[in-house]
Amino acid sequence: MVHVTGNFQSESPLSDRVAEALAEAFAQGWSDPRKLSQSSSRARILLDQCIQSVAHTLRVLPQEIELIGEPNLGPTWGAAGLLISSAPFYYSAVDRKEIHALARTHATSHEMPVDQQGAIQPPEIPRGSVLSLQAANGETGVVQNLDALIESAPESQIACDFSAAGPLVALPHRWDTAFFDPKAWQGPQGLGILAISETTTWRNPLPHLGALRTPSSFSIPLLVASAIALEEWTHNHDMESARIRNLTGEFRDRIRTRIENCDIAGDFANENTSLPHISSLSFLYVEGEELLRSLDKNGLSVDSGSACTAEDLAPSHVLSAMGLLTHGNVRVTFHRNTTHQQMLSLVEALTENVADLRRN
Amino acid sequence: MTLKTIDCRGMRCPLPIIETAKVIRVLLDGEKFLLLSDDPATQTDLIAWARMTGHHVEIRAAHEFIVTANKGLSSS
Repeated sequence: MVHVTGNFQSESPLSDRVAEALAEAFAQGWSDPRKLSQSSSRARILLDQCIQSVAHTLRVLPQEIELIGEPNLGPTWGAAGLLISSAPFYYSAVDRKEIHALARTHATSHEMPVDQQGAIQPPEIPRGSVLSLQAANGETGVVQNLDALIESAPESQIACDFSAAGPLVALPHRWDTAFFDPKAWQGPQGLGILAISETTTWRNPLPHLGALRTPSSFSIPLLVASAIALEEWTHNHDMESARIRNLTGEFRDRIRTRIENCDIAGDFANENTSLPHISSLSFLYVEGEELLRSLDKNGLSVDSGSACTAEDLAPSHVLSAMGLLTHGNVRVTFHRNTTHQQMLSLVEALTENVADLRRN
Repeated sequence: MTLKTIDCRGMRCPLPIIETAKVIRVLLDGEKFLLLSDDPATQTDLIAWARMTGHHVEIRAAHEFIVTANKGLSSS
């Protein structure tokens, strides 16, 4: 057995610089930036600087940015604010569960199927519809062609979810809301960034007084850390993303050669249809959690992709929609500090563990 | 002639697929059996299994699948 330590989970530790900035920001105990004191005014200046920096990199306007203290609400928040009218709602079969839940509460909702590579196959979409589109799927790394999809839906409103894609996928030429999660650029957990286009008719979907678009109960230290992490990520991006894409490509090729009867989600050969760092692998005849546990014993952490757990008996709706094997699924994420040797060790460990589990 | 039946009701994925593969191993080309399985993953996974191994699957009713061996393409 190979004994190495490797983190191939979607979460990665903060960089030293980001962790220090986060600790310092918490230690300073920022005042509420909406109040009138001097310390509040300092907090307001810091907040504005962070928002400007983030907006610049994400290519949105600072005044379009809203911050949400509960990031998992973000995609729903963005789409629900467009759905106040009786507009038909279109969402994809691989969209987040929260969006599927939103669709159930809306009078006219239509699920768009995907092909085996995970690309959305849009039906004819009537004018005045609302579309929920994931720039990339967090479970499989499959990237959608946003511009083409939006082209096929003229005069519709678009709620985009960039939580998995981050800045790796460009904003489409037309959008109403775009949600970002700093985890996508190795920032901290617990903050959502929702861009609401200046030109949209979006309305706060929750009961509210005044002009508040979001509850504004977010953490300033998390925003400071997110802004610094984004600067760092952008700085490293050009050097790192090509290396990580090559690493992922080689990893997938090696798995295909070494392990038979394995589904790997998405078409990685086409750069525009998959994120550079995520691989969803399903091994026939293998129980996903057992594989996860045996890899863990080898010091290798991967994520469990498919549900099939005690809490949720339903198979992954994402893999099902793509017609892929839902059992024996693990998700592997490569980070900027993942080495070639670690990738090779993971291939060895997967090969050995899958063979062992298939023998039993 | 009644169809040979493999009852995997109550089993969780991937056990019904593993059982299917065991039965297929001893069948001749073109022979078939009825698989009963109520796991919500079985339908997707059985179709994926058929795509990977070359055998044939037909959905007869909810939780009922006719599996036909195709030994021309694969023996797994």
